[in-house]
Amino acid sequence: MEGIRYFDVRHVTGTVTHIDIDNTRVESAGTSFVDRAIIRILGQKGWGILAIDSYTRPNGRSFEELLKRGGSLASLTSQEVTLADVPGGIIPVPALREDPGDVHLEEKQELLSGIEKGARIDGIKSTRASYIERTETVRFENSSGEEYSYSLCRSGFSIMAIAEREGDMQMGYVRKHAIQDFNLRHRQECGNVAATRAIALLDARAPRGGAMNAVLDPELAGVFAHEAVGHASEADLVQEGGSVLEGTIGRQIASPSVTIVDDPSLPEFGFEPLDAEGSRVGRTEIIRKGRVQAFLHNRETLAAVGFGHAGNARAMAGEPPQVRMSNTFIENGDSMVDELVSECRSGILLKGSRGGQVDPGRGIFQFNAEYGYLIERGEVGEMVRDVSLSGEILKTLHAISLCARDKKMHQGYCGKGGQSVPVSDGAPHVLLIDAVVGGSGTH
Amino acid sequence: MELIEQILHEGAQRVDELEVYLFSGFSVSARLKRHEIHYASGANQQGLSLRVIHKGHIGTSATMNPETWNACMDAAIASASLATPQDWEGLPGPENLDPTPVNYDPDVTPDAKTAKTLLSELVEGTKSYPVEITSGSAEVARYTGTLANTSGLCYQDYESMVSVGVETIVGQSTGYEYDASWKMDIDPRIVGEKAAYLAHSSQHGKDIVSGNYDIVLSPIALAQLLGGVFLPALSGKNVHAGRSRLASLQGQQVMDRTLSLRDDPFHPRGLSSCRWDGEGTPTRIVHFVENGILREFAYDLKTAYRYGKKTTGNAVRGGHGGSPTIGTHTLTLDGREENLREGRVVHVNDVVGAHTANPLTGDFSVELSNAYVLQDGTVEFPVRKAMLSGNVFNVLMETGGISKDTRVVGSMILPEIQLKNLAIIGS
Repeated sequence: MEGIRYFDVRHVTGTVTHIDIDNTRVESAGTSFVDRAIIRILGQKGWGILAIDSYTRPNGRSFEELLKRGGSLASLTSQEVTLADVPGGIIPVPALREDPGDVHLEEKQELLSGIEKGARIDGIKSTRASYIERTETVRFENSSGEEYSYSLCRSGFSIMAIAEREGDMQMGYVRKHAIQDFNLRHRQECGNVAATRAIALLDARAPRGGAMNAVLDPELAGVFAHEAVGHASEADLVQEGGSVLEGTIGRQIASPSVTIVDDPSLPEFGFEPLDAEGSRVGRTEIIRKGRVQAFLHNRETLAAVGFGHAGNARAMAGEPPQVRMSNTFIENGDSMVDELVSECRSGILLKGSRGGQVDPGRGIFQFNAEYGYLIERGEVGEMVRDVSLSGEILKTLHAISLCARDKKMHQGYCGKGGQSVPVSDGAPHVLLIDAVVGGSGTH
Repeated sequence: MELIEQILHEGAQRVDELEVYLFSGFSVSARLKRHEIHYASGANQQGLSLRVIHKGHIGTSATMNPETWNACMDAAIASASLATPQDWEGLPGPENLDPTPVNYDPDVTPDAKTAKTLLSELVEGTKSYPVEITSGSAEVARYTGTLANTSGLCYQDYESMVSVGVETIVGQSTGYEYDASWKMDIDPRIVGEKAAYLAHSSQHGKDIVSGNYDIVLSPIALAQLLGGVFLPALSGKNVHAGRSRLASLQGQQVMDRTLSLRDDPFHPRGLSSCRWDGEGTPTRIVHFVENGILREFAYDLKTAYRYGKKTTGNAVRGGHGGSPTIGTHTLTLDGREENLREGRVVHVNDVVGAHTANPLTGDFSVELSNAYVLQDGTVEFPVRKAMLSGNVFNVLMETGGISKDTRVVGSMILPEIQLKNLAIIGS
């Protein structure tokens, strides 16, 4: 069609099932329906994009009319977009271990209630358990005649417990998500873990902020990799001039013990069988032994920036694809966790995550631990709460002095440009020297 | 309307009560990559949200395809059968409310030309300082929603929205500014100029010595701390579920005695102002905090019926076609207006990581963004990197006043505020 260099359509249909149990009451439970499509048309310069709720693929002239509408939007753009030729193709979706769709909502509710019950122990004032299950079928087609479709189920739960004593309140929580599985069975102990931690936090104090050595557990170190490296390696930011990693390919920005990888093909929570623009997915070593090797790409950024391969375009239903992380992790080192604690000597052991944020242009990141322990004379001591870390991307990575060999992945959601996508982050325990720790306490 | 009547008719045969919310919207947006337009997009949104109440059981479902309302109703009824029943005294009936929309401007036209003009002006504005644009966006949108129920209520509302935002950089110094309104009264040039100023003026930052400082938070930074911690604690649901630090403090001082925090659904600048809430209750001004004293919590029908309270008209619908939950329409903060920049203060435009604050206890430690040390209103130096720590509930107990000017930040309209003696972790 005249003036149209390329188009693709990504149509997502599916269901979202949720259960919310609040202090033993089933607050709400049920299913809603998703049906959204995004149609991208590449004109002479840039993109025209149409988002349509409740989409039915029109045929013949009606489809051409749709493309024309997108083409007229594209004609307003001024940026010359080039798409790299990259391999397409879909990799197999992992087999369903247990299909949540086969489990009756009532049984799910009973299992979730069981988890909540585990949290209702002495000292706990409030509990809340929630379950979310999203089953999506994605249909993709483009002007090169490629067509793919797949279905994927993601589900997970969270349990929060609030402890109260003499007006002081603290919370503990456990969250677990899975792909292609029903993960509510045999999880009752998670409620107890959340509750026990909430009660223990009543006796924890806030530490005094300042520079100190810090051992991060695999969950928090994974968030660290995500915030400190992952976002800045997204090549749309590099292309826009909004990442401090621009121009760093080949440069040593981390200690030689650090290798950081993103891989959407891994059967973890950020899995994609192909990316949101039909490109083949695979492993990217962003940093190898401390040196920057590659960025994360879609087809456009690969053509504009180079270094790496496409396959990291991701999108929510009905939203334009963006360059995103998927399963991001720090590779195992060869130390034992005990060595890290003893090497830390005086500092802090930080565990769990309340999330983080980064300004990739300025190269500054912040993230927050759920709880921690002071380390004194190389031994783990008193529990502490509400601890944040912040740092500078180009400096802090040099401060990772040791990596253990106990890598674990944790699931979560990551926000960018108004879109939230499922991701996993992981790492072994790592030791940071002279980390900037924020805390409002006095000891 | 025919569709709504059909759904209500069918619903009335199957359940005690039914509520229907039918939504549609059209928006056009355009996005800058550096200083050129990278894409222009048009979005047709629609949604149908159903809520059924049967013998105290409440069930919900939603779909993006209103034609499939039958399946949606089946799902809502199945949802109700699982929910724990509660006291329920009925959906609201119709009242004689002024149907004139409060935040709709027919001059807000969602077309690509308008979006392009907004972006051109945004780019022009950034040229006031020698910085580069990394990305920017403009969006123009119109929405229509119809709320109806089996008690005979049927309200239709229109909303419009225009928004712009731009990120700038020079070296490793970044700036971000945005604005949004329901009228065509935003000035993208001023937004561009401010974003450029922030990046330009934050260059060559210096380290600040760790210690306690008087802090001036911009409305953007204040909105993040209020929204993440203070507002959830005002939700009647959290209060009764044992998740609010404010639960037992009604009638007691919870803020500086000069401060008053309200939800003002009639505020003429509010992006979410409305005459009725998400379930059709007429809205009113809710006085959360008056002169520092905690007065009211926010309720919707469900929470009010359950705990023997009255709804405050605080049901809001999240996303398009979402079910009603407790929220606020237009949150405002009043207080004693002062010159906040007298003496030595640290002015904070934004913070990184506010969402990691502890929503229950209020403890936070965040990284500063575009912060400056001021002496009697003059910038002494921009702060290169520092963290700010404190507790949201405690820091609001003693303030050095608020600014005269306010700005719209999402569903809040806030001034700047001076907070006393906060911990900064610098170098």
